[in-house]
Amino acid sequence: MNIRYLGLELARQLRNARAIVFVFAVPIVMLLIFGSVYGAQFDKAAHLQWLVVTTIQMGGYGAMMAALSQAFTIVNERSVGWNRQLRITPLSGSGYMVTKVAGALAVGLASIIVVILVSVIFLHAHLSLGGWVLAALGLWIGIIPFGLIAILIGQFAKPSFAQPLFMVTFLGLAILGGLWVPLDILPGWVSNVAQVVPSYWLNKLGQMGAGGPGTVGTPALVLGAWTIVLAALITWRYRRDSARA
Amino acid sequence: MDTQPAIRLSGLTKKFGTLTAVNDVDLTIQPGEVVALLGPNGAGKSTTIDLLLGLARPTDGAASLFGEDPRRAIVTGRVGAMLQGGALLPTTTVRESVALIHALHTHPLSIDEAMERAGVTDIAKQKVASLSGGQMQRARFAVAVVSNPDLLILDEPTAAMDVSARHSFWESMREFTALGKTVVFATHYLDEADTFADRIVIMDAGRIIADGTPSEVKSVVSGRTLSFTLPSMSSANGPRSGTANVEGLQHLIAVTHVERKGARLSLTTEDSDATLRALLSDYPDAADIEIVSRNMDDAFMALTGSEGTEFEGASK
Repeated sequence: MNIRYLGLELARQLRNARAIVFVFAVPIVMLLIFGSVYGAQFDKAAHLQWLVVTTIQMGGYGAMMAALSQAFTIVNERSVGWNRQLRITPLSGSGYMVTKVAGALAVGLASIIVVILVSVIFLHAHLSLGGWVLAALGLWIGIIPFGLIAILIGQFAKPSFAQPLFMVTFLGLAILGGLWVPLDILPGWVSNVAQVVPSYWLNKLGQMGAGGPGTVGTPALVLGAWTIVLAALITWRYRRDSARA
Repeated sequence: MDTQPAIRLSGLTKKFGTLTAVNDVDLTIQPGEVVALLGPNGAGKSTTIDLLLGLARPTDGAASLFGEDPRRAIVTGRVGAMLQGGALLPTTTVRESVALIHALHTHPLSIDEAMERAGVTDIAKQKVASLSGGQMQRARFAVAVVSNPDLLILDEPTAAMDVSARHSFWESMREFTALGKTVVFATHYLDEADTFADRIVIMDAGRIIADGTPSEVKSVVSGRTLSFTLPSMSSANGPRSGTANVEGLQHLIAVTHVERKGARLSLTTEDSDATLRALLSDYPDAADIEIVSRNMDDAFMALTGSEGTEFEGASK
């Protein structure tokens, strides 16, 4: 793995402006709508201002979308044969994975920061600077599994199949994780399923960073397990995948 | 500079279900050789290339590059390749593509030198998506040489190139081989193999069926081809008596093979002078006569058995 390649890759991915606008715009619009409706109410379950909870939700949503949308980039790269070109370089399976996750993290972080800034500047959400930083950090770490899910979709899906697969994964994770609507208004079983879904813990990590209740033990365990399993699948697949497109 | 062969394939076999794409191939290529890999579509050339680069796992047998595992040779930057279905990213420029691969290697050429060698300096800032077929292949060549490899593997490098692009591509390749590098290229253009390679390996149905210098390979088909039209056969008589006439041609002196394409007949002959005299005395109306040496196409067709003949040769 080397830094110069990583830098060139990140610069290349951040130039992909169309995807980035999409990633940024949706959570901001949703934040402005929900945020101004519920404003200063207090969320008793999260022990946080409603606006802060919504900001974290939307920050997580945008970051997750940013990470998952890597799948499209990867499907396109594979379909033109770029991965075959990479296979005849010293880049290893894990090096490839790290580069792609770093790409997801870079775009995801930008999305998190923009959502928080909009919330603070336009909606006057109230939280200490340290609280925001930790909330952002929690969300940021939490999107690692989504970067990996994106790589996996990218590695397996044919170009025509990537879009539906992305939508199903994305909507499923957004709803089950409580990123769109609070889980307590959904049927009970959804809350149970949510416990093993990475998007649920992404949201929780963000809330904990902001000072909400809970310990990092469980999310670390669940997200760690996702990361290990996905990473193993990806490196295995990268070595096998020499398909002539 | 190396005691180990650049490529060694031993008993290399690859099966896809019931299809055996590569069947027990043994091949050793020494450093400095320029080898053409020929064969009809589906002969197993591309699969062999995938196997020798370690991109696919052999069902049986082994491949080594410079005495090492192929992956090891790739990691140390000793191998560059232009593969089928391996292309550059449409949204990057030529220079960015070379720079990305450059960044991954440990002892690469400079980006500018790689582009210079491939002749893409003038299109460095162009987006890959806007390149012509020939420019695209040259850009891919720049990517293949940026690691400063000792061995280059090229799978149909001049496909999609027009004549002048092919010419300038082989010019840059000559500069590369002049440095004592090893080159293996698969091609459909037999004249490229003939003029450029020191050695030609022909594959068919997953096996190597010929291996030698271009002149050795061509010597499989000796003699010359004598072709002409015969007005008496095509107009006056029906197809049946035409067949009888063709059989008569087979008995002309020194003829080994007769072929008919429309109104034109071709005789393969061991002694074109004697055949011509006999032809003119038996068929005085023979017209538009041409005599040419048999070439790589004929050798290729003879070896792979993919000839479109209507009549088998008399003394084959």
